[in-house]
Amino acid sequence: MTDLLANLGLGFSVALTFQNLGLCFLGCLVGTLIGVLPGVGPIATIAMLLPITFGLDPVGALIMLAGIYYGAQYGGSTTAILVNIPGEATSVITTLDGHQMARQGRAGIALGIAAMGSFFAGTVATLLIAALGAPLTGLAMIFGPAEYFALMVMGLVFAVVLARGSVLKAVAMILVGILLASVGTDLETGQERMTFGLNFLADGVDFSVLAMGLFGVAEILRNLDQTETREVVRQQIGRLLPGRAELKQAAPSVLRGTAIGSILGILPGNGAVLGPFASYAIEKRLAKDPSRFGHGAIEGVAGPESANNAGSQTSFIPLLTLGIPPNAVMALMVGAMTIHGIIPGPGVMTKNPNLFWGMIASMWIGNLMLLIINLPLVGLWVRLLKVPYRLMFPAILMFCSIGIYSINSLPTDVMFIAFFGVVGYALIKLGFEPAPLLLGFVLGRLMEEYLRRSLTLSRGDPMVFFERPVTAVLLLISVAMLALALTPKLRKSRDEVFTEA
Amino acid sequence: MSEPKGGSGRHGLVRGPQSLAAGLGLLALGVFAVWAGGDLPQGTLGAMGPGLMPRWLGIGVATCGVALLAAAFVKDGDPIPPVAWRGLFVVVLAIIAFAVTIRPVGIGSFMTPGLGLIVAGPLAIMIGGYASPEARFGELVILALLLTAGCMLLFGDLLNLPIPIFPTVVIEAVSGSISTRLLLRIAVGVLIILGLGLIALRRGANRRRPVDVATHSLTT
Repeated sequence: MTDLLANLGLGFSVALTFQNLGLCFLGCLVGTLIGVLPGVGPIATIAMLLPITFGLDPVGALIMLAGIYYGAQYGGSTTAILVNIPGEATSVITTLDGHQMARQGRAGIALGIAAMGSFFAGTVATLLIAALGAPLTGLAMIFGPAEYFALMVMGLVFAVVLARGSVLKAVAMILVGILLASVGTDLETGQERMTFGLNFLADGVDFSVLAMGLFGVAEILRNLDQTETREVVRQQIGRLLPGRAELKQAAPSVLRGTAIGSILGILPGNGAVLGPFASYAIEKRLAKDPSRFGHGAIEGVAGPESANNAGSQTSFIPLLTLGIPPNAVMALMVGAMTIHGIIPGPGVMTKNPNLFWGMIASMWIGNLMLLIINLPLVGLWVRLLKVPYRLMFPAILMFCSIGIYSINSLPTDVMFIAFFGVVGYALIKLGFEPAPLLLGFVLGRLMEEYLRRSLTLSRGDPMVFFERPVTAVLLLISVAMLALALTPKLRKSRDEVFTEA
Repeated sequence: MSEPKGGSGRHGLVRGPQSLAAGLGLLALGVFAVWAGGDLPQGTLGAMGPGLMPRWLGIGVATCGVALLAAAFVKDGDPIPPVAWRGLFVVVLAIIAFAVTIRPVGIGSFMTPGLGLIVAGPLAIMIGGYASPEARFGELVILALLLTAGCMLLFGDLLNLPIPIFPTVVIEAVSGSISTRLLLRIAVGVLIILGLGLIALRRGANRRRPVDVATHSLTT
C-alpha cells in the first residue's frame, strides 16, 4: 500500500510538470474534438499524430496520445446524445437513450451524467491499473519465451472471439497481419523475405503507413459512400447538473457499468468495446420497468458511458504490464513506444518507472480536465458539428500525407498509404474488420521470435508448449474460447449483445 | 440449412457473393505468399529457417480462403455492397499528386519538379475535395489556402519537421538574400490574407444577391 502511494506520488510528480500538463490537456482537447466529429476516430488521429510526437520526450508523447484515446470516448457521447449518431463506435449504445433524453429537453442532464459517470469510472480504472500493475508485471517477469508465445496466441484468440462478424474472417485477418509482419529482413538470419528486391521493403512494412492507410484513408473512403444527414438537437441543452433524484437513479448503474467495463477492458482482445453493450443489456434486465429503455432512461446513459470509459482505461493494463496490445489503439501505442525506443512489456515498469506511473497519474488528471473542459464547451462542440464532412476529409487527407511524409521523407510512403487505404476499403466491402490485422501485424514479429526461441530451447520439440503448466493452461483457454465461439449458440448470443437495442 | 430454391431471390450456384470474393482474395494471397517465400530455407523445428513462418502463414490464409469459398456455395450470404468508385479514384489521385510534387521524384528517366508543401498541399485538397459529389470550388479554394497556411506554420515553423515548404527553384533563387523562415512567415501571411479576402468577397457577393442566400442556406 505504501508502495502504491509512493509510486502514485512519483507519477503525479511527473504528470504535474508544466509540459506534461500541457500535453495532457492538448491530448484531451484533440481527443474530445475528434470524438465529437463523426468520421474521425482515435485510431486515425493517433496514427496521424505519431510523427509529430517524435520531437517530444517519450513520457509527454505517450501522455498526449493516451489523452486522445480516452478524450475521444468523452467526445463520442456528446455527438451520440445531441445528434443521434455515434461520434465513436463505442458510443453507439448511448444514442438509444441519450438522444431521447435530448429530445425531451434533458440534453444537459444526459451530457452531465455521461461526464460524471465517465469521470468516476476513470478514477476507479486508474486506481485499478496502479494496483494491478505491480503484481501482473511480477508475473510477467517469470515468463519465458514459450509462455509469451502462448500469451500472445491467447490475446489474438480473444481478439477473434470478441470481434464482431465472422470468426473465420477475423482469424484470416490475424494471419494476414502476421504474414505482413514477416515481410522484410529476417531478424535472425538477416535474409530478406518476400521483398522482391524492392529497397523500401527491406525494413518491412512500416507500421505508421499501414495504420494510416487502413484506418485513416480507408475510413475516408468508407464515409464518402454515404451522404450524411445530421440532425443536431434544436432544443435547449438545459441545465447540466442532474438533480438528486436523478443521481440516485443513476448511481447504481454507474457502479455496475464501471465494474463491467473494467473487467472487460483487462481482457486481451478488444473487450473494452463490449463493455457498453453488456452494461446496457444488464441495466435493462435489472430495471423494474424495462419499457422505459429507449425512451430516455438515465440508466441507459449512465451505465454504458461508465463502462465505456472504464474499459478504455483498463485496456492499458495488458499493454503496460505484458506488452500485449488488446486493441488497435493500443497497437498504435506499441508503435509509439517502439519509436521512442521503449519496448512495451513488464520491463517498462522497472526500467521506465517515470513513464509507467506518470502515464497512470496523467490519466486521472486527464479525466478531471475532461470533466471540467467538456461541459462548458458543449456549445462549441455543437457548432463544430455543423462543419460538413466535405470540408473535413480533404483536411484529414492532407494531414495524413504530411504526417507520413515527415517520418522518413519518402514519397513512396505517401503512395503506400493510398495503397493500404484501398486495401482497407476493399476489406470493409468484403466484410473484414481491419483491427485484427493490425493486432496480428504488431504482434507478428515478436510471436515469431518467441516461437523460434522456445523451439530452439526445446531442441525442436513442440511438446514444450504443453509440458509447462502456464503455457498449457493459456493454450487450453485459447482453444476452448475458439471452440466456444464457433458453436452456434454462443455465436448467436454474441451477435445479440452487439445488436441489443 | 434447407433454404427453398430461389427463396431469397438469388440465382445460380453462388449464394454468398461477398464470401466468394473474400475467399478468392485470401486464397490468392495465401498462394502468393507461399510462392514468394518459396526460395527461403525452411530449416527444422529446432532451428527454424526464415521461410518456415511465411509458408505456414500462407497455407493458413489460403485455408481460410478455401473455407470462405466453400461457405459461399453452401450458405446464403451477403452481396457485395456497392463501391463508390469516384471517391476511391479521386482520393488515390490526390495522395499520389501530393507524393510526386512534395519533392523531386524520379519516375523512370523523368524527374518531377519538387514544389514543396505550398503547392502540394493545395493540390491535394483541390483534387481530393472532388471525391465528394457535394464539392464546391469556391469553398475548396478557401480551405486550401487557409489549411496550407496552418500546416506550414504548424509543421514547418513550430514543429520544424523536415518537410520541403517551397519549390526548389524558389529556394535556389532567394538563397542568401532572405532566410527561409522569414520567407515561410511571409508566405503564410499572404495565404491567410488571400483566404480571408475570399471569404469576405463571398459574403459580400451573397449579400448583394439575396436570392442566392436563400438557396445557399437551403443546401447547407
